[in-house]
Amino acid sequence: MKFNIKKEIFLKALTKVQGIIEKKHTLPILANVLIEVSNDEIIVTATDLEVGIKSKYKAEVIEDGKITLSAKKLFEIIKELPDKNISFCSKSNFWVEIKCDKSIFNLVGLSPDEFPKFPIIDESKTIIDKNIINEMIEKTIFSISSDETKFNLTGIYIKKENKNLNFVSTDGHRLSLISKIIEGELNNKFLEGFILPKKGIIELKKLLENIEDNVSIGITENNFSISNKNTTLIMRMVDGEFPDYNRVIPEKGKNVATIDKNLFLHSLKRISVLSNEKSKGIKIKLENDLITLTSSNPDLGDAKEEINIIYKGDEISIGFNAKYIIDILQVIKDNNIYLYLKDNISPGRISPENDDNYLSVIMPMRL
Amino acid sequence: MHIDMNAFFAAVEQQSNPALRGKPVAVVGNQKRTIILTASYEARPCGVKTGMTLYEARQKCPQLQLVPANNRLYTYVSSQIMRIFQDYTPLVEVFSVDEAFLDISGSLRYFGSSERIANLIKSRIRTRLGLTCSIGIAPNKLLAKLASDMRKPDGLTFVQLETVADLLEDLPIGELCGIGRKTTRKLNSLGIYTCGELGRFPVTKLKAQFGIIGPRLSLMGQGIDPSPVLSPEQEPEVKTVGHSMTLQQDVSAREDIARFLLQLAEMVGRRARRYAVSGRTVTLTLRYADFSTFSRQQIQSTAIFCSEDIYRAAVKIFDSVFLLQPVRLLGVRLSSLLYRDCQLPLFEPDLRRERLSASLDQINDRHGEFTVMSGSLLEVKGKGSHVISPAWRPRGIRNVGVQ
Repeated sequence: MKFNIKKEIFLKALTKVQGIIEKKHTLPILANVLIEVSNDEIIVTATDLEVGIKSKYKAEVIEDGKITLSAKKLFEIIKELPDKNISFCSKSNFWVEIKCDKSIFNLVGLSPDEFPKFPIIDESKTIIDKNIINEMIEKTIFSISSDETKFNLTGIYIKKENKNLNFVSTDGHRLSLISKIIEGELNNKFLEGFILPKKGIIELKKLLENIEDNVSIGITENNFSISNKNTTLIMRMVDGEFPDYNRVIPEKGKNVATIDKNLFLHSLKRISVLSNEKSKGIKIKLENDLITLTSSNPDLGDAKEEINIIYKGDEISIGFNAKYIIDILQVIKDNNIYLYLKDNISPGRISPENDDNYLSVIMPMRL
Repeated sequence: MHIDMNAFFAAVEQQSNPALRGKPVAVVGNQKRTIILTASYEARPCGVKTGMTLYEARQKCPQLQLVPANNRLYTYVSSQIMRIFQDYTPLVEVFSVDEAFLDISGSLRYFGSSERIANLIKSRIRTRLGLTCSIGIAPNKLLAKLASDMRKPDGLTFVQLETVADLLEDLPIGELCGIGRKTTRKLNSLGIYTCGELGRFPVTKLKAQFGIIGPRLSLMGQGIDPSPVLSPEQEPEVKTVGHSMTLQQDVSAREDIARFLLQLAEMVGRRARRYAVSGRTVTLTLRYADFSTFSRQQIQSTAIFCSEDIYRAAVKIFDSVFLLQPVRLLGVRLSSLLYRDCQLPLFEPDLRRERLSASLDQINDRHGEFTVMSGSLLEVKGKGSHVISPAWRPRGIRNVGVQ
């Protein structure tokens, strides 16, 4: 195997796989990237058996073949090389010689035959607008649970209901749901619903941010893939049942406040400085056209702010984790939001004023 | 001021049972494997001492009356005594169940003299509870403790700054609070036997030998102790909630050990919930029949407080241990504590689990520990805590209810 490639292109390829490489080194081969060389291009593959990525790049191929090398070591070397052509040449026993300008590195790899097979995905793919998917991820990714014991909450639940595609995530204390109309046929799996893991979602988001064209989705059994013309990202669905989220979404009710999003967001950020450091608990009081935010921390002091709002409902005093409200306000673009409350032990509901298809449900705190 | 209750457990027993008054009495543990916990002043001349086996004690004093310990009574009486101290100064540092330090420097204005405060405390404890105590009054905690030790029972001893040097000159270093057997042996190997010698010994050499406590040892030798009397509010935050138990007999069957772990987990969980803390680290301590002891800990992905979660974590650790010998003692501890937030869960099953746990706690609060329990604990006798830990405190998270 022998090929030459521009440093800039190869560095891009390696940067893309760094997030996927297995950090725990349970299987040594998973710390490596697979480089396959043929027909004027190289294919770079990395996987941790949960999430995998495969990308094609232009290269000057002299002799076909394949190698695997430590993704981390290779990245550290390539990163510091001068901006010139790099040449790769395989030797016996999986050794590889890397030359660039006046540098020569010899790296030992593992047999490419040990590298896990990349699953082959269903050909009947659906083309989807990448901007819509990106927005749906951005508006739900923050409420994915990071508690490994609740594995069924460690991803985004995706389900087609009627004409809409729903993305839902929850950590057991709050939930976000976005619903969008999607043109075109979707695989039957979308009707059953499935959970994509957080790590895969993070890689998917990175991928969508760096490409221009739309993406196509493929599903085979429990594998989900998304690809454009040069890159395929694949991930295994989370094995577990997502809770019945429709049951915890409260009715809108009569106690609805219309609040200026920016005023509310900045007030929350200031007030939460003096909330309890771990629980981030703050108090919110709704009364006639006024919202009052208060916080107190016995070691630091206390704070109080008032904002004029539109509100004609019951007087309600309720405790919330400020971070949960901040998280959703930060991804809402509208000028105003609606806050629906029932009483101080029932979940609150937040939506942007012009988009009824996005909402967040937040359970209060007992303060 | 240091106050030390005289033969506390034995004296409390003599008060609650008049038939025991004036007789040699020794309080012993409830368990099979027990020793003398406290001997009354009537028993002490015969040579009965704390820590003796029952056989040794009977050899020394055949007419000795043995009384099983009633720990709940002792902690109750102790709380009463500690409350009396509160009337003279807010700066009360509970040192153990029968000892406390009081900083009375700010109270002299109200009560006249330290001697008067000491006599008021003594007479109130005597008339109210029928107990005597030894009080030491000195410029610092180290000397006060030394002073209260000098006259027992019912003593009142002053140590003045001018006499400190004479007092310490020939005093064996082991008499100082804070210098234990190991430190004594180490100091002896440096040729230091008395406090006078310790005070004169070059600080640099002590520092080289003992590290940061070296300079403190030197000060102790000179009778200097800068540590303040810490009231409960000033005591460092509690960092762990744990329970351990010596088993009636050595056990090696997994099933039996799991049952003890369930009991310990319930005790730890109960106390964690009562004081609204949760913890991320669970530690399992095992002591083998030959007294070799070790601990293993595991960090959980979230802070836990339910007995069931603590039990599962403890069993998981136990299953990772290869038992070399039968087990003599088991301990379960929750640490990396967080003061629990009151975030309500969104989903019904989580809500139900929290409500169930809270209801069980309410029943056990009202009707006593282990009124409602897991079925597998029904057959277990003597559940709960049987020993008053040195860290016991009349209030707060360290107020461990004992049987």
